[in-house]
Amino acid sequence: MNFFHRHRGLTPYLLLAPGIAWLAVFFVVPLGYLAYQSLQSGNIDFGYAFTWSWGNYWHAIRDYRAQFVRSLEYAGIATALALVISYPVAYWIAFRGGRWKNLLLLFIVAPFFVTYLIRTLAWETILSDNGFVVNTLQSLHLLGSDGRLLATSTAVVTGITYNFLPFMALPLYVSLEQIDHSLIEAAEDLYASKVHAFLRVTLPLSLPGVVAGTLLTFIPAAGDFINAQLLGSPENHMIGNVIQSKFLELTDYPAAASMSFILMAAILVAVFAYARAIGTEQLTGTAV
Amino acid sequence: MSSIAVPVRRQRSALAKTLAFVRYHVLTVYSLLFFAYLLLPIAIVVVFSFNHPTGKFNYIWQGFTWNNWLNWDGVPGIRSAIILSLEIALIASLVATALGTLIALALVRYGFRGRATTNMLIFLPLSTPEIVLGASLLTLFLNVTWLPFGFWTILIAHIMFCISFAVVTVKARLVGFDRHLEEAAMDLGANEWVTFRKVTMPLIAPAILAALLLCFAISIDDFVVTYFNSGSRVTFPLFVWGAARIGAPPQVNVIGTAIFVIAVAGMLGSMLLQMRRGKGAT
Amino acid sequence: MTDQLTRRELIERAALGGAAITIPGILAACGGSSSKPSGGSTTVEHKLAKTLEFSNWTFYMDTKGQRNPSLDQFQKKYGVHVDYKEDINDNAGFFGKIQGQLSRGQSIHRDIIVLTDNDRYLSLMIRKGWCEKLDKSAIPNIKNLVDVQKHPNFDPNRDYSLPWQSGMTGIAYNDTLSDPVLSVDDLLSNPKLKGKITCLNSMGDALTLVMLANGDDPTKVTDKSFNAAFNRIKKAVDSKQIRQFTGNDYTPILAKGDLSAAMSWSGDIAQLGNKHIHWNVPTDGGALWTDNMLIPKGGDVYTASVYMNYVYDPKVQGLMEAGDPKRKIVGIYYIPPVAGAGEAAKQFDPSAANNHLIFPTKKMLDSVHLFDNKALNNQKYLTKWQDLISA
Repeated sequence: MNFFHRHRGLTPYLLLAPGIAWLAVFFVVPLGYLAYQSLQSGNIDFGYAFTWSWGNYWHAIRDYRAQFVRSLEYAGIATALALVISYPVAYWIAFRGGRWKNLLLLFIVAPFFVTYLIRTLAWETILSDNGFVVNTLQSLHLLGSDGRLLATSTAVVTGITYNFLPFMALPLYVSLEQIDHSLIEAAEDLYASKVHAFLRVTLPLSLPGVVAGTLLTFIPAAGDFINAQLLGSPENHMIGNVIQSKFLELTDYPAAASMSFILMAAILVAVFAYARAIGTEQLTGTAV
Repeated sequence: MSSIAVPVRRQRSALAKTLAFVRYHVLTVYSLLFFAYLLLPIAIVVVFSFNHPTGKFNYIWQGFTWNNWLNWDGVPGIRSAIILSLEIALIASLVATALGTLIALALVRYGFRGRATTNMLIFLPLSTPEIVLGASLLTLFLNVTWLPFGFWTILIAHIMFCISFAVVTVKARLVGFDRHLEEAAMDLGANEWVTFRKVTMPLIAPAILAALLLCFAISIDDFVVTYFNSGSRVTFPLFVWGAARIGAPPQVNVIGTAIFVIAVAGMLGSMLLQMRRGKGAT
Repeated sequence: MTDQLTRRELIERAALGGAAITIPGILAACGGSSSKPSGGSTTVEHKLAKTLEFSNWTFYMDTKGQRNPSLDQFQKKYGVHVDYKEDINDNAGFFGKIQGQLSRGQSIHRDIIVLTDNDRYLSLMIRKGWCEKLDKSAIPNIKNLVDVQKHPNFDPNRDYSLPWQSGMTGIAYNDTLSDPVLSVDDLLSNPKLKGKITCLNSMGDALTLVMLANGDDPTKVTDKSFNAAFNRIKKAVDSKQIRQFTGNDYTPILAKGDLSAAMSWSGDIAQLGNKHIHWNVPTDGGALWTDNMLIPKGGDVYTASVYMNYVYDPKVQGLMEAGDPKRKIVGIYYIPPVAGAGEAAKQFDPSAANNHLIFPTKKMLDSVHLFDNKALNNQKYLTKWQDLISA
């Protein structure tokens, strides 16, 4: 249609318009209010007033630095684990899945159809102190005789990893699936071993998927609170738990708001550092 | 005699053959183990959907019964909760994927002002803790009083937080996309629209499907944001969290299992349909 | 009358809302406009509404299959349909959801909601004027309220609230895993229980028990008694005696045998039905908490009051509480606030009527205590507590 040729300049804006408009109204506006709230002070009894209270930010960092750091740690470990665990499977589905690809993809997201709480309760049953898993680990001396898996940082990280597996696996698959197999064949024809071909051809071509999956996993995982709440003890709690309690139990809305912004800033810094490390070619078109 | 080097096929010992077999299939075995790990809690959920609990808690196996399945909506409120969740998840994933795909196309293929801001805008919802996301959206709705809390507010919220996931997923596909195919199509006389429909879309279809599945999963499982913006409507996760206070009834397991089974059956069905269509075409 | 006010209120807000959709407009409207909630009901019209919107916690109503017999009976008697929603699972969460509207003077479209007294939100709602006064002329049965509930410190004249059900906080233990755990001292210091116990994340509950064990009075909290109790719990956290802080998610962990003992609520254990798990009021005393009915601003006062009167009839309460196995009605199994309900329950389900977790003995009731309401609203205490359980 000639319309698009003539109006090439407009095309990207037209494509962006509906989605960005949606986000602008239903995310940016609330976010603006959140920013406004983060500079308020007061309490529920006497109300809140806008007082340019930058102290909220300072107090948040000063008092809860441990939880901020811990959240980034747990999210980072969980993301790395998810990548290592999911990559082979995404590869397998993309390269060997054949006509079963879509079905296998479905199986990856299927656990989400059963509500989070029920899944976690099932895990609590599986990882129970008297259950099969713990007993096996104890007899293999990987776990002390009165050791346990639940209510530890291991359980929290494992829980986070498990819950974000689809977020990692699906983007990986999406990018692996479109790799042209003739490129790999060409590499092998040029005497590359299978491993070499993988490292030099497949892996680099799948990098957009790796980047996408990493971002989709790390970013939300850093703000997670539910795994720490159900599977951890107080020393494993993440910043998400603190924000939750500030908002609900302490009705300290300014604190909750300012902590959220700090979290968002921390995540963005981590993402940019990651972007630098990956290299900007991957970035134009993927992350930034 | 010719001195062309022809690789001689050495006789492979049984051991070598076995090793080769193992090496080829190790990936398959690993993947199957992965699925076993992924679906292990689901297996527990399915098993316990047949449990006959005494008292209100469904944690210890007490006996087999078909009752929960026959009586699946025997718990008040469970039916309307799951229907609402399915409706919302379906619509939200379709809309979010559509909007997200458009954004992804713009980001990957066009230069425009505000690229960095757009990228930022896509990432921020992902990084915002759900509780403040839900609460601040609630505040927005409070000031739009002609819109009552309920179906529409839940739907709007779900679409909002799903868009980012859709964008990132589809983008991963578009980045490595070979534009030559499109150029070839246009050289052969197809205009932009037709090219898009017949060349681009089918090639990015796997990404769109993946985005749909991901958005559906996120939507059907969302609790916090939904809680704040649901008014008095109850979605399935809200129902479960409420019921779990005193002990989630086995019917919750039944519903979870049922969705899973129906989804798988649906996917299998569409696959069979495609295979039959393929046969018919040849 | 309240219906009309609500409608007018909404129309006013809609007009404002249309203008406020611009960003500055929204920010201006959002900016802490704690306008005085409209709708002070001076004289309540004695007209029943068609529907009663009732929000409650889950499993807090008698059931028969899909229906709630007591609600059906109410509809038959008064012609009012009860739209019963079980959408409260947590005081803090529910409050967090409704405070936005209430602080802007908007109705939350509920006639009755139920909040717990050993959490800050109940007294907060009353203090901030976000509840309607009860129409006591429509509640003659208020005379059946048990004495101990007649003058709570957050609502001394019962002008705004009436108890729905009560429960007790004590200690549950698993007899296959441990000797009887009957005191808080045992729970927090017995080395055999290390890492195998949980404490409740509710400050009111946990501190009441520990203060009693310290010999302090939980109804009059001082900095000294608070710190003593707080430090005791902190010690147990640091020494890893306490495995986790939980809401009522201790139940599956206890049932599965991952815990030897847990600070827990009586009703949960009654419903667990596991003969190895025993619940007791701790030797130094336990806590009594009560879920109270409130009429949020904008609710229909008369209809809500009529309903409250209905459930304060001992016969109705007895049936709701104990259920009736003959008619397949399952009861609530918490502690009713209505005198005479126990007697009435005997004719429906004698075994439930004799269950001390549902109808406690006088001895039990004497040993459970309330928590100082002022302490529940002390921001310093609350922050310290939250930091502890969220380390």
